[in-house]
Amino acid sequence: MSGPQRAGEPGTIRFTFDGKPLLARRGDTLAAALLANGIGLVARSFKYHRPRGIMAAGVEEPNALVTVGTGGRSEPNTRATDLFVYEGMVARSQNRWPNLSFDVGSILGLAAKALPAGFYYKTFFGSAKRWMFYEWFIRRAAGLGDAPNAADPDRFAQRAGFCDVLVVGAGPAGLAAALAAAEAGERVTLVEQDRVLAPSLVRDPQELDPAWAEATAAQISALGGQILLRTTAAGYWDDNLITLSQRLAEPGQQPPNGAAQRLWHVRAKRVVLATGALERPLAFAHNDRPGVMLSQAVRTYVRRFGVVPGQRVIIATNNDDAYLTAAAMRDAGAEVVAVLDTRPAPAGATSGFTVHNEAMPLATTGARHHLREVSARVGGKIVRWQADLLAMSGGFTPVVHLHMQAGGAALDWDDASQSFLPGAARQNVTSIGAAAAADPIGPTPPPENSGKAFIDFQNDVSLGDVDLAWAEGYRSVEHLKRYTTLAMATDQGKTSNMAALGRLAEKQGVAIPDAGLTTFRPPYTPVTMGLLAGRSERDAGAHLRRLALYDVHQAKAPTWQPLGYWKRPRAYPAGTETLAQAALREARSVRTAVGMTDVSTLAKFEVSGPDAAALLELICATTVAKLAVGRGRYTFMLREDGLVFDDGTVWRLGEDRYLLTSSTGGADRMATHISYVRQFLYPQLKVSAVNVQEHYAGIAVAGPHAKTVLAALIGEEVPRHMSTVPAAIGGVPVLVLAASYSGERAFEIYVEASKAEPVWSACEAEVTAHGGCLYGMEAMEFLRIEKGHLVVGGEIDGRLTPHDLALGGMLNKAGGYVGAEGLTRPALTQTGRKQLVGLEALDGTIPEGSMLITAPGQPAQGHVTAAGLRVLDGGSIALGQLNDGFARHGELLIASSPTRGLIARVRVVAPHFYDTGGERYRD
Amino acid sequence: MTDIAITQLPAAPLNVLEIWSNPLAVLDRFEKAFGPSLPPLGSSLQLPGRLLIRYEPAVWLVEGETIGLAEILGSDGSLTAIGGGLVRVRLSGAGWRSLLMEGGVFDAESKAFAPGCSAATVIDHVNVRLLVESDDACLAYVPLSYARGMIHFWTIAAKSLD
Repeated sequence: MSGPQRAGEPGTIRFTFDGKPLLARRGDTLAAALLANGIGLVARSFKYHRPRGIMAAGVEEPNALVTVGTGGRSEPNTRATDLFVYEGMVARSQNRWPNLSFDVGSILGLAAKALPAGFYYKTFFGSAKRWMFYEWFIRRAAGLGDAPNAADPDRFAQRAGFCDVLVVGAGPAGLAAALAAAEAGERVTLVEQDRVLAPSLVRDPQELDPAWAEATAAQISALGGQILLRTTAAGYWDDNLITLSQRLAEPGQQPPNGAAQRLWHVRAKRVVLATGALERPLAFAHNDRPGVMLSQAVRTYVRRFGVVPGQRVIIATNNDDAYLTAAAMRDAGAEVVAVLDTRPAPAGATSGFTVHNEAMPLATTGARHHLREVSARVGGKIVRWQADLLAMSGGFTPVVHLHMQAGGAALDWDDASQSFLPGAARQNVTSIGAAAAADPIGPTPPPENSGKAFIDFQNDVSLGDVDLAWAEGYRSVEHLKRYTTLAMATDQGKTSNMAALGRLAEKQGVAIPDAGLTTFRPPYTPVTMGLLAGRSERDAGAHLRRLALYDVHQAKAPTWQPLGYWKRPRAYPAGTETLAQAALREARSVRTAVGMTDVSTLAKFEVSGPDAAALLELICATTVAKLAVGRGRYTFMLREDGLVFDDGTVWRLGEDRYLLTSSTGGADRMATHISYVRQFLYPQLKVSAVNVQEHYAGIAVAGPHAKTVLAALIGEEVPRHMSTVPAAIGGVPVLVLAASYSGERAFEIYVEASKAEPVWSACEAEVTAHGGCLYGMEAMEFLRIEKGHLVVGGEIDGRLTPHDLALGGMLNKAGGYVGAEGLTRPALTQTGRKQLVGLEALDGTIPEGSMLITAPGQPAQGHVTAAGLRVLDGGSIALGQLNDGFARHGELLIASSPTRGLIARVRVVAPHFYDTGGERYRD
Repeated sequence: MTDIAITQLPAAPLNVLEIWSNPLAVLDRFEKAFGPSLPPLGSSLQLPGRLLIRYEPAVWLVEGETIGLAEILGSDGSLTAIGGGLVRVRLSGAGWRSLLMEGGVFDAESKAFAPGCSAATVIDHVNVRLLVESDDACLAYVPLSYARGMIHFWTIAAKSLD
């Protein structure tokens, strides 16, 4: 009997691999479970489709990538060594067709000489058509797993964490460090990417009793420490910010509480890295076959999972650690055929094994799930053995990734272990245990056949590829990396870097540290995109902002329109009405009777204090101080460069109290601007400016009957246009502002948002009684375009001056407002500037957003900012920005949208299509 | 199951109290009227019928009664009502601190964040003001437009704490 197997009970957990039902034991990784079921062939390689097995037992695994889960939970490129089997798990191999055993793509292996490092770049040579031809094949031939087609049904949580000491790695060193910190009274967080504490003690129980780990963890917890398993420190950022990815369920598994993973943002005063070390493979021909494994991984499968990966094992090593594997295999009943040690004589105990010194594997041959033969050079001779497993150890590489991410760019070279160690730290971080020191190793002879001696298993990069890159002139490690794609796969070269650097240094004739080193970047292990995106891919992590009257609107089933984070009713279609039909009906109701709409989202600021007017005359470019109590006016605001960025109204509510309104979309920007002026430019002002956007719900009532409606509601005389009065509706205090955005006599009723519903109901009843209806944003757009009112984001786009918008006459003659100086810049008064115009269609419908041209093929001279129609008379109209527009009234232009294939002939007119004298505002 | 209850409280009178000049004189007048001083940043003061929480250098949130405050401020500050735009949500039970870490950036698990302490922070992209009522309860002041979303967020997040 050959190949991997497990003695005793096969297990009770059912799972499938490539559709085949299998059994696993509780606590098995998928890799362990597959080996236990005699499965050594697990994957096909990225480029050459070479058969690959399981090489490692941890996150460094480069070969055994699988897709796990189904539907939206499907997760490709998951390491079988970092995936714990659960009941019903569905795992599939990748990058093969029609199946793993017989993969047509493996024919590429025969053409490997034609597809060496850099061949991909060479396909760029020549014409683009040739590349298109190559691309078709390349994209189908190479690759990893497929991304799922369906949306991920699970949540991804994110949370903050704070601690005095964050210990990364719950091995013996990490546990001891965490306990010491906890005993010192420090707030400790200990994270471990495995699902068990100190897995190395299970592998090597001779070092410490595994029970010690549990006892230590209990002590840490008792002292208030926090221990997170299945949690990987993925990134180390400035100010000791560390991001952790915590698995709450295994990949592809339905999470028990909705969240599949949690992203932690941890601020730690001090970080201890007990991240251990990774074993290096050896480079020899066909070192990538199923049955070639890392030595410690073999020991892990034997001791932790009870799986014996082979029955006749060859151990190949340059250090003492592999002898522990030999002992473990012997204890498990396997035959240790030979130990090949590169050293003249091993430094440690070798009892009972056939050891060949100065020996190195040459090549392997294999069956589907295991090896058949291992050949080696022993002294001057080539020796062959029948063996189904080769356990190799090329020494150990301390995991310095997080140290380097933390800014510890300087790594120290340790000649004895041929590895980089953490150097001077730039943040408060220390490395301990195997992450800080590695045992010495012997020589690592180069392979005799470098072509099939793989160093980057995941990207199919061999030592021969490094040689080729060197021959083609790639000298820098950074260039070599990119040319060969070495260390650029999902494993980020965890097992390949040192071999590549060694080869490069050899070519350069320098020591390894002088050959250069690539940069370790986050994440340490792959992170699911959903984890970074946030709690749900469906709302991009952002909350919807709901109106205070959201439920009232929702009951009328409106068509909703997003506006920033808000949702506002766009229209209230009745019966089978289309959106356009509903909007036109609503707009006509406002023109002929009365309508009401929700304007709660407008920005609102209450400004009070003896310097309230002074502050407002800084923020607003119009006069404010002369307003009488109870009066209001239209206003607009400039940036410091003199360009208009928002508009609104300002109302004097009392002697030293004003209400400023501005646009919904610019609300946050306006709040920032007011704060900037108040806190930074003029902190001496005696004034308070409070954002009351959400405090007040707003209801606009507009139309010829609006005055009658309001009088009935408040039971007293209504304020004249641009006046305000406090009142009550149904006993609820309200503030009535007589202002119009529609062009009709209109009122805005502001009420404390928590009391808005009865006021809305009373208004609706009265509006309905007067033949009116609700109207949404689409109707509002028709009305304001016809009236020539501006909208922020449309006509006010941050590029025009007040003069460009025909607002120059309203500027505060005394100046002093923010932007007054900027407005004097000569460039803002030169000819050729965009200016606000109206547009009438001569035929068809004016396309919104279209460009304005004099003839086809001519450059754009402006664009349509908003398009609508005459509410009562029909006919397409629009507002736009046009070069020197004021002087071009009467000119004929073309409104053209080539991308939509839309075009209309237009006449330039004044931007007022309705009640140009403003007669309808007045009583 | 993590012990957390999320309860929306009825609307309450909330006002912004801002001082723009002579702060020491205002504090003096306040102490004469009420006894203790206005609470420092990050803390609160419970008086009969009113609660004051300082959440900006010169700004306090006043929950409840405002009688007498305008006189204390005189021409050195003002009161502005904002209660319509804030929803009070009580997070109670042993797990409230863990819950506030979800989507948060503030150390709600710190022992220093004790009863009476307050904080202004961002949770799941929403600006939220916090007041520790007791070891087992924290009050969150949430903008009205975000309140339903935040309560939903907390409800879902509480389940994933188990």
